[in-house]
Amino acid sequence: MPGVIMKDLIKRYGDVTAVEGLSLQVKPGELVSLLGPSGCGKTTTLRLVAGFLKPEAGEIWVGDRCLSSPTTVVPPERRRMAMIFQNYALWPHMTLAKNVAYGLRFKKGISTADRARRVKKILKLVQLDGLESRYPGELSGGQQQRVAVARSLVVEPEILLLDEPLSNLDANLREEMRFEIRRLHEAFGITTLYVTHDQGEAMVISDRIAVLHKGRVVQVGTAEELFQQPRTRFVAEFIGKTNLVDGVAAEPGVVARGSLRLRVASADLTPGAPVAVSIRPHEIQLVGDPEARALGENGENRLRGMVQRVSYLGDAVDYQVQLDGSDVILRVAAPPSLRFNPGEAVGLAVARAACIPLTEGGE
Amino acid sequence: MWLLAALALALLILLPLGWLVYVSVSSEGGPTLAHYGKVFTDPHLQRAIWKTVVLAFWAGLVSLAIGAPLAWLSARTDLPGKRVIRGLVMASFVTPPFLGAFAWVMLAGPNAGLLNKLYRGFTGAQEPLLNIFSMPGLVFVVAIYTFPYVFVMIVNTLELIASDLEEAASILGAGRLRVALTITFPMVAPAILSGFILAVLQALALFGSPAILALPAGFHTITTQIWALFHYPPKVEMAAAFSIPLLLATALLLLVQKKLLGRRGYASVGGKTGQRRSIQLGLWRYPALLGCLAVMACAIFLPYGILTKAAFSRAWAQPMTWQNFTLGNFRFTFFEYSSTQSAIVNTLQLGIATACVGGGLAALLAYIANRRIILGHQFLAFLALAPLVIPGVVLAVGLFVAYTRPPLLLYGSLWILFVAYVTKEMPVGYSQSDATFRGIHPELEEAGRILGAGRLRVLREITAPLARSGIIATWCFIFIGVIRELSASIILFTPSTKVMSVVIFDLKEEGQFGAIAVLGLFMLAMTFATVVMMQTALGRDVLAAKE
Ligand SMILES: Nc1ncnc2c1ncn2[C@@H]1O[C@H](COP(=O)(O)OP(=O)(O)OP(=O)(O)O)[C@@H](O)[C@H]1O
Ligand SMILES: [Mg+2]
Repeated sequence: MPGVIMKDLIKRYGDVTAVEGLSLQVKPGELVSLLGPSGCGKTTTLRLVAGFLKPEAGEIWVGDRCLSSPTTVVPPERRRMAMIFQNYALWPHMTLAKNVAYGLRFKKGISTADRARRVKKILKLVQLDGLESRYPGELSGGQQQRVAVARSLVVEPEILLLDEPLSNLDANLREEMRFEIRRLHEAFGITTLYVTHDQGEAMVISDRIAVLHKGRVVQVGTAEELFQQPRTRFVAEFIGKTNLVDGVAAEPGVVARGSLRLRVASADLTPGAPVAVSIRPHEIQLVGDPEARALGENGENRLRGMVQRVSYLGDAVDYQVQLDGSDVILRVAAPPSLRFNPGEAVGLAVARAACIPLTEGGE
Repeated sequence: MWLLAALALALLILLPLGWLVYVSVSSEGGPTLAHYGKVFTDPHLQRAIWKTVVLAFWAGLVSLAIGAPLAWLSARTDLPGKRVIRGLVMASFVTPPFLGAFAWVMLAGPNAGLLNKLYRGFTGAQEPLLNIFSMPGLVFVVAIYTFPYVFVMIVNTLELIASDLEEAASILGAGRLRVALTITFPMVAPAILSGFILAVLQALALFGSPAILALPAGFHTITTQIWALFHYPPKVEMAAAFSIPLLLATALLLLVQKKLLGRRGYASVGGKTGQRRSIQLGLWRYPALLGCLAVMACAIFLPYGILTKAAFSRAWAQPMTWQNFTLGNFRFTFFEYSSTQSAIVNTLQLGIATACVGGGLAALLAYIANRRIILGHQFLAFLALAPLVIPGVVLAVGLFVAYTRPPLLLYGSLWILFVAYVTKEMPVGYSQSDATFRGIHPELEEAGRILGAGRLRVLREITAPLARSGIIATWCFIFIGVIRELSASIILFTPSTKVMSVVIFDLKEEGQFGAIAVLGLFMLAMTFATVVMMQTALGRDVLAAKE
């Protein structure tokens, strides 16, 4: 089972650069998601890996084979990959069984009987047994999706590519299929690239996530790493909700914005450099005004402010708090057991470790 | 293979056009503009140009006057028998205009024309009521077979406009007429104008009807004039020089039409095809229906009727009695008249060959352009649609010059007709195939590729089956186009390579109306058989499939 290595890929459409120096390594047997907003080049990247597009620069390696470079592109049919398309791309003129069996015809050394056996087995696995003679038009969206999965898995590809395979399903089914895909990945262990613009989906499904922005990978890591240690403003905002406070690095470990001074998680900042600080709403603890006076400092951040707006969300309460003597408004997610009202003065406690300085890139 | 197809196309289009331009400026003494000088100073030729302009303009206008109300009635109202009316419009669309012209000679010729005889019989008048051999007569006959272009254009647009837009205006208190004028009309205006232009283009390029009706009336149009220039002694250079202005005029008109559609056309109306409620005509439905029937009577019932009568009569102008009944016309046409049999064989051969080869080439080109397989694919569409601006007669002149000299000596064989037909039908074939491939998502092919099938195998096993009905429809469109083709054939045929339309034209010279009727009906039967085949293949209304 080989992995995939993408090196400095560039792909242009006329004067639009869709992929701009993208590098990424997918380890053997790993499932990596390409996550990013619409138009950031996810589909283009996937199609480069599949061999439908030729890069203007860069290389794609699978194991020890160089599959794409600006000079040579191994055609898709010789890449030993499989792909699941957003609209499934089932062939409407073939029955479900024929759709699934199609790819097996091009694999050497599989007898007709063997072929039928494999098709039967995979259809059972995706719970479609008994529907073999249906045409795609006679299947529900979820069933079509499973046919597409079966059609790709039955050929036992080295690499599996998926382009937003769940985006056409309704919310409930989508949730269910996330786990289904993860389960299949664990069963087969195929090296997989998974494109999505839904962070929740990426977090459930992937071993690692590559966040794409404007045709580049801005950060790669596990869901936890991306959430807790975002390196750029873009990643911090894209993965989960966050508060961003723009300031300037002051003495070591402190970022200042006017009279507001935040102790942050990293000490090594160049004094005078602009720094954005990301604070997750649920990392902020709200306390009533009297208790705030009682809280000691202990090297953590102690702030004061006034509640501006309160939204009850069921499992949490969302507050907007205006900090005293500052233009900063922080969102705070607090458990519903504590209630403050608009106009109330409150204290805010934020651990130093929860204030992540973002130094990379302006964005 | 891809490149070869593209090259074939380029050759097909550019060779005759290149020669046309070359010949129009050449003489023994080197390059010259003398031919153009003559074209624009010769009073005969000037008159032909003027007459053509008059004909095209009025034919366009009358087509509009017939096609637009008919389209509105059939798309928007509760007119009874709408399906039948659409079927009849379709019939008028596929009726070869020159057959219609012949039929109208028998109906409204000044002396023997049936309608004139009836009129004289009833009123005792001496003068004929109608004279089809006149400019108004010609305009009329051209328009009744050209209005379907306007009709299709407008119906397609009207069907895209959701009636909520109109209803929104009604709720605001606008009356029915007001809604039509302020909401509906502005939205279909581009379609109306471009329908008008299409009709004008048809009229400009037409050869058969003017040849049948204008010549006896004593005037030429550009197309008949070009044809006359080929009569002995042939003045090919003059014909070439005379063709160029016609070519430029059509190109210009088509450009205008594209602009119109491009800017405000379907895009502005597009979006959702919302719910449409038909407008209640109330008592108006009867006059409306009567109007539609009158149009259909002129385009279909009367002409088909008189052709049938003539086919079975000893003398077509005499009343239909047992003495006058005969099957002799059939015997004469099919067995005694020397050129019929070979012409039918030629036509069928050419029709099938063109539909297969031309359709295949068009499909291949459309596929290349759609999937961007080769460099410069953007030009393919342009080239493939280019023959739209080349009137048949002009194309024939170009082919004549291109293929009467080495290295390709095709003149005198069926090959030159074949080349002419393939070229002429290329736009139809291309746009049909293009629509077909557009409807097949490339991901369906890519899914095959990634699973291990090569490009050609995917083309064979996935694309072709999905494109099947579209390809059959294209085949039929081309076949119908070929069997009725007259304007290029009339210049390119030789005695051994006559086709059916040419034979019909010859029979006119000999005054054999019975035989014309027989052969004409035969041609119509072939056409309608093909239409039926196509409807079955597509399983839907063919007019809707046409652009
Ligand atoms: N065939 C094409 N021709 C021209 N531009 C293209 C083409 N395909 C994509 N692009 C452009 O390249 C950029 C990246 O497109 P891509 O399809 O890779 O985005 P994506 O991340 O998959 O977005 P989405 O989430 O909307 O699917 C976009 O700006 C898009 O407009
Ligand atoms: Mg995409």
